[in-house]
Amino acid sequence: MSKSKAGLLQGTLDMLILKALSLGALHGYGIGQRIAQISGDTLRVEEGSLYPGLYRLERRGWIESECDVSDNNQRAKFYKLTRSGRKQLIVEEQNWERLADATMKAMRVV
Amino acid sequence: MSWIKATLSFINARRHPDEIIREVETELRFHIEMRTRANIDAGMKPDEARTAAVQSFGDFERVKNTCCELRRGLPFDSMLLKMGLHITIAVVAGLGALWAVNVPHHTFTGVMRQLIAIGVLGYLFIVVRRAKSRVALGGPGEAFRADQSLTSDMTGASAAKITAYDEQGSTPVERVFKSE
Repeated sequence: MSKSKAGLLQGTLDMLILKALSLGALHGYGIGQRIAQISGDTLRVEEGSLYPGLYRLERRGWIESECDVSDNNQRAKFYKLTRSGRKQLIVEEQNWERLADATMKAMRVV
Repeated sequence: MSWIKATLSFINARRHPDEIIREVETELRFHIEMRTRANIDAGMKPDEARTAAVQSFGDFERVKNTCCELRRGLPFDSMLLKMGLHITIAVVAGLGALWAVNVPHHTFTGVMRQLIAIGVLGYLFIVVRRAKSRVALGGPGEAFRADQSLTSDMTGASAAKITAYDEQGSTPVERVFKSE
């Protein structure tokens, strides 16, 4: 088994959470599932990361929560994007695209 | 006006700390419940499904405490807003001091005013000190640094792990590729 390390843009989880919520309000478990789904089952967010991430984003005002009834008729906390969260998602996407482009350019250099 | 909601939520969290703990616990238990159901749907026995869900979740208490700390923290990270808060508190403290001093000391009203002013200023002082200690490095951000991670399983034969760090942006996200 071999290991290699590479730096990634800080805030990747934030971007993924914002992206998942841009498709509609979800509870924490649903957010994890949606990230897995939209990444083609490539990414799985660990619970130990997801919830602190959600609380942090809520504190920043990018998402907000309210109680609602889930599909299985249980009360759950649902998160949704705020207006500033939607703006932040655009910023995050642009940053990510710039980084990805720059990385690709660098990697293509022979 | 999400920042107003966030501020109200912060004040509420300070007033009802037990409620916050219950709220976080309920949310995390709901997650485990959902994971258990998914495991059962995937063919596991109920006991196995529950055990797997709990194990998959990791350190429940740690996640809970991190979330509670974040919930109780100041509802903003901006240095400018923090400075604004400090200035506001300083102005309130100054006005309070003037209000308390600007009355004959020997009267009952004067003594009561001074006591109230001392109480309010003491309370503000404690609130600011606690809030600052939570926002500073070593507070919830430190716990979050250790926790935040993503795992990626592309083919079953390889796995990637992405570890993100604190909200201060002082440390990078790290990805570890493992290939068999």
